[in-house]
Amino acid sequence: MRTKLACVAVIGILFAVVPVWAHHAFSAEFDVERPLTLKGKLVKWEMINPHSWFHIDIEDAQGAVVTWMIEGGSPNELIRNGVTKNTLAIGTELTIEGYHAKDGTPKGVGRNFLLADGERLFLGGSAKQLPGLTGAR
Amino acid sequence: MRTRLIVLVAVAGVAAAGLLLPVMTAQAPGYRAPRVADGRPDLNGIWQALNTAEWNVEPHAAGPSVVRELGALSAVPAGLGVVVGDEIPYRPEALAQRDENRANRLELDPAIKCYLPGVPRGMYMPFPYQIIQSQDHIMMVHEFAGAIRTVYMVDQVEAPADSWMGWSNGRWDGDTLVIETTGFLGTTWFDRSGNFHSDALRVVERITPRSPDTLLYEATIEDPNVFTRPWTMRMPLYRRVEEGAEILEFRCIEFVEDLVYGHLAKQPGR
Repeated sequence: MRTKLACVAVIGILFAVVPVWAHHAFSAEFDVERPLTLKGKLVKWEMINPHSWFHIDIEDAQGAVVTWMIEGGSPNELIRNGVTKNTLAIGTELTIEGYHAKDGTPKGVGRNFLLADGERLFLGGSAKQLPGLTGAR
Repeated sequence: MRTRLIVLVAVAGVAAAGLLLPVMTAQAPGYRAPRVADGRPDLNGIWQALNTAEWNVEPHAAGPSVVRELGALSAVPAGLGVVVGDEIPYRPEALAQRDENRANRLELDPAIKCYLPGVPRGMYMPFPYQIIQSQDHIMMVHEFAGAIRTVYMVDQVEAPADSWMGWSNGRWDGDTLVIETTGFLGTTWFDRSGNFHSDALRVVERITPRSPDTLLYEATIEDPNVFTRPWTMRMPLYRRVEEGAEILEFRCIEFVEDLVYGHLAKQPGR
């Protein structure tokens, strides 16, 4: 009987639910300790798998313009969150809420985009791994 | 006498109409397909084209292979063409691009690398596909690369994202299924000969049952970036009638792993 229970327990652990986003760890690439809030203009975006990429021109403190790359979810995830290929026109002014990349380049993972009219778009993707921070609120 | 004249004219009129009728109704099938539950013609089944459009949709002679070692087995078979009017109406600069594509087809044809074939190439590749029909959705499941098309008969929206296979919305026009597909990336070719399009492509297909085991298939291509006017491909599609016919696997991504990624291996060629 004990052996039977042990077997069931082992099988239970083997079939434990694996987070669907565990294809790579958030923490391997992005730093949850270094959140960012940046305001800029969308100059290009790629609605591609496995992650979409948004290229945003940000003016730094000295007035120089740097193009940041912000990672978002896959096309399917974006569509489920109401973002289609027509949602964000090139030239849109927006605020990025996200986290810095660990490699020090002007890159980050986006959690939300805050638009000029106050609308918040959730980008899905790696940001879903953040505890308590999923969703647009 | 007058009555005779009237009869003569009437007979002449009927005879003339009789001569005209075959020409006017040449495309109207006398065939009425079996129905599915909602009263629409039954398109369910495994279908495949039997022509050489995959090599070149325009009329073409046979020609040598681009891969020397495969000799006759990968040479180009001749074809009478599936383009109505024979010639694709390219814009002059686009024709130059087509010819450059053709000259470099071994490097550039996306299907070689198992990229999805797009529309309508997937319909005339030498691979079967299964049409699975319900009232709200019609699916086409291709053997090549497992490509899938969903034709939305309800809840129709514009393509939310661009893709290799596009986004298809469908409706019935009598016994003809009319499919409008947009939202293409512009990355597919129409055949192995470099015939191409841009991301402005819009394809309107008409599929009509013409006999128990054949369909009449037409695809009208619109792309103002590349062509001077819309043009149409037309061909029959044949049912795979053998007992137990089914779509088998053709997972070509694995077959081209070395071709596409081999240069990244630590020891290339191993």
